[in-house]
Amino acid sequence: MTKIYIAIGLTIALMAVGMSPIRAVEVDKRLVEIEKKRNDLINRIKPAVVSVMGRDPRTKNVIGLGSGVLIDDDGHALTNFHVVTAFGYLAKTMQCGLPDGKLYDCVLVGTDAIGDIALIKLLPATPDQKFPKATIGDSDKLKAGEWSFLMGNPFGLAYDFQPTVTFGLLSATNRYQNVDGRFEYANFIQVDTSANPGNSGGPLFNMYGELVGILGAGPSSRRIRMNSGAGFCISINMVKNFLPGMRAGLAMDHATLGAAMESENDDGVLSRVLVKSVITSDAQRRGLEVGDQLTNFAGKPVFTVNAFKNLLGQFPRGWRVPMTYRREANRVETLVRLMGATQREVDEPKEGKDPKGGPARPVAPPPSGPAAKFYVEKKNFANYYYNDLAQKRVLSKHTEYGDFSKMTGDWTIRLGGKLLTGVAPKPITGAIAIREKGSADGTSPKVLADIDGLDFPLEPLSTKEKPEAFRDPPDSGGFVLAMYHYRQFLVYGEKGFSKDQFYHVGVEPFFPPLGDKPNYMKSMVLAEVFYTKHAGVPGRFYFATEDDIVNGWKRGQLIGMEIEPDKDEDGCEIVFSDYKDIGGGRQLPGKMHVRRGMKKYADFIITSATLK
Amino acid sequence: MKRLLTITALAIVLALVPARRGHTQTDVTFTKIGEEVNQKVIKVFGAGGFKGLASYGSGVLIDKEGHFLTINSHILDTRDLRIHTYDGTKHHCDVVCREPELDVALCKIKWGARQGEIEHYFDLQTAFKRPPLPTGTNVLAFNNMFQLAVRDDAMTMQRGVVASYAPLYGRIGVFDAAYRGNVYVIDAITNNPGSGGGAITTRKGELIGLIGKELRNELTNTWINYAIPLNAYTEVPDKDGKKIRVSIADMVKLKENYRPAPKRELAKNTSYHGIILVPNVVERTPPYVEEILPGSPADRATTKLKPDDLIVYVEGLPVPDINSFNNILATYGPGAEIKLEVQRGDKLTSVTVKLDKPIGTSKK
Repeated sequence: MTKIYIAIGLTIALMAVGMSPIRAVEVDKRLVEIEKKRNDLINRIKPAVVSVMGRDPRTKNVIGLGSGVLIDDDGHALTNFHVVTAFGYLAKTMQCGLPDGKLYDCVLVGTDAIGDIALIKLLPATPDQKFPKATIGDSDKLKAGEWSFLMGNPFGLAYDFQPTVTFGLLSATNRYQNVDGRFEYANFIQVDTSANPGNSGGPLFNMYGELVGILGAGPSSRRIRMNSGAGFCISINMVKNFLPGMRAGLAMDHATLGAAMESENDDGVLSRVLVKSVITSDAQRRGLEVGDQLTNFAGKPVFTVNAFKNLLGQFPRGWRVPMTYRREANRVETLVRLMGATQREVDEPKEGKDPKGGPARPVAPPPSGPAAKFYVEKKNFANYYYNDLAQKRVLSKHTEYGDFSKMTGDWTIRLGGKLLTGVAPKPITGAIAIREKGSADGTSPKVLADIDGLDFPLEPLSTKEKPEAFRDPPDSGGFVLAMYHYRQFLVYGEKGFSKDQFYHVGVEPFFPPLGDKPNYMKSMVLAEVFYTKHAGVPGRFYFATEDDIVNGWKRGQLIGMEIEPDKDEDGCEIVFSDYKDIGGGRQLPGKMHVRRGMKKYADFIITSATLK
Repeated sequence: MKRLLTITALAIVLALVPARRGHTQTDVTFTKIGEEVNQKVIKVFGAGGFKGLASYGSGVLIDKEGHFLTINSHILDTRDLRIHTYDGTKHHCDVVCREPELDVALCKIKWGARQGEIEHYFDLQTAFKRPPLPTGTNVLAFNNMFQLAVRDDAMTMQRGVVASYAPLYGRIGVFDAAYRGNVYVIDAITNNPGSGGGAITTRKGELIGLIGKELRNELTNTWINYAIPLNAYTEVPDKDGKKIRVSIADMVKLKENYRPAPKRELAKNTSYHGIILVPNVVERTPPYVEEILPGSPADRATTKLKPDDLIVYVEGLPVPDINSFNNILATYGPGAEIKLEVQRGDKLTSVTVKLDKPIGTSKK
């Protein structure tokens, strides 16, 4: 009714000044269709947009901290690390509003502090509630000049949690920025879309409604951090690399190569990217030297130092990626394991008094509310509850291929196959016997190995054992010790390893046996990984994430392991395949490919196994 | 109201959609145009890096010899001016000529021993002939804001609409711009550190202007996003009062033979009002009247100013402090009638003062 009055009033006013009312233009039908399509798209994707809220420790009021987006129907949502640390400490529990108008309790699951990403989980209001979720897209396909949407809750405007939608252009892709010396945004997407405080952590959607990025912090400027014409969106493809680890409750770390790069010369056309310095690292073990030209990293050509940083910044610590370098006429293609970018302790802002005398940081309140029971504190984890859950999930699936927990007696495994250390493969036979209490003192275990007619006895827990025995047989990196760790894992699980040294770390690339001219990117598979340590020796255990016809693996099977008896040398890696039933519902691999660094040691065939 | 908004939104969409049939919003992207324009826009590096002054900017290549246009700024005050082209090549450059009146500089790549050639550049002769874009036209911006790009990284690409085509002049002291001609005011946030000298193009990638400097309105603390049109020109009086026309076209035509316009006489303090304000002691001293000089223009006004009056508006512009009062007054010459709004007690009063020539100047 009011509208009519206004309309009449307006008409009279216009007539009074001798003008006719401005008539609405006829709109092209196609445009109406386009607009409808866009409206439909927004309505389809917006239910997954999250308003992240937290209780201000000073005022005790629940306020908007930022935005987020649901990525599965269990309630997992992505947001920024700087959103969950908005109060100066890492919030363990918070609340999230959804466009359904409801407020949900929510728990921190995992963090990527350098990449500025946090994974949180909304608790369903009813046990069978399924959450709306965004479809995850491929951010590598984005191009500058394409359209996109940002959604979120800028300025905490929406009390009903209806997201604010802003529409704009992708300004650039493959950007690299160090934000405030705190975050490293590698390979990020720049948008000209209006982004304001509170938009942080919100989703960037492409025009197909796929989630392609997470809005991060904006550029530092003399101007206040309002819409500055440049929004930085963390690419969803980077998040994908960190997501499995965050799902497992980890405080993830980014990676360094252990070598710094520089441009050959700073002038003229783009020059070669050369190794400026190398520290003790896997890169050094792979032969990388100062002055070498880096030509390819993780499957992408490297033309500039920035391009290298963009590639490197997308990987978690511990990942192994292909790398190609050139020295004079020689081209070396190799795999390199990346080291951690930071000390793990600095991931979380220090609480309490600043040792440098700065203002005291607020002390994190204990997790509270219904979400608190889903939080377990443990050093170096964002939330150990979810690591424990991930371990149980993997181990329970693994048990489907055999329960070895009762096989605590002596093990004897007979081997055939080929030794690969010589010029030509050489047929060999051998046996590994693990005696539970076979050592000289009669209490600790002993491993007896006969490889190609040579004996390699090892007492893995004896302090008097010769250091080289841990790396026997020569050129294997420690195959005898590896078999002992293997049995520890199968029989004892977590109890077979040092305290707190048995945990899930998400996924890492895993490489099946490689031919003479390997295509690393093509043969690479992603496997779920456990990190272990036993008697000071670190290990890794890899599990297939899916059924793999090429390699003959089934989902959840143990497909490989590694130990590193000497931190300055390449350890022993084993790839398991061709699983066979050995009775009692238990399966053992029929084949074991053993390698050390980039060198093959042997292709073993398990001819018989007696487990007691 | 809602309908009006919808219509406006549709009108914008209409302008964005090319005439080709069968296209939908999702199909229409500026990817190809962006790639083409990116090859002609450069990252400029020079002096700065202190006091919040950026040492980086943007520029547009205009010929195969390697001439490029950028904004006349402190970045050029260096012996080592460098640019990075789209393919990552780094060149050293010289300033060929600068025109403070236009706020534009022409520079050129130093080729050294081997004369090179630029493959991708804007054809200015065509660009100069383009008529000004009407308000509401969609434009694209290409620049290196925040130095997000180096070497072969692509420039930042933005989309916006020409909000108006109007002179910046008249706001001197408010917007401290050297150029007094018409500018394109853009509705997008194009003017960030490093954006100056970047390209504003049509949605077909045709160059229409150079992104201006960062300018802030000191009264409202807002920033203005504007571009200097390629066909920019201005008229500057020389010492004999003869008007000299300067244009970007002349700079580009004459190159090293171009002579900048004579320095403009500062308009400051050329008129006399006779209002004495309280001492300007703090950063933002409110313009309270201390006294009125007897026989001065203010004294001759019909409604008279009194001590302790607070001047709040000059010609409709708010004057929160003495500096802004002086800055605005400095833009008016003798003979101008200015309207002041003053607060006296709890009432607002209008006072009109006809400015006079400064005391001591001859009356010829």
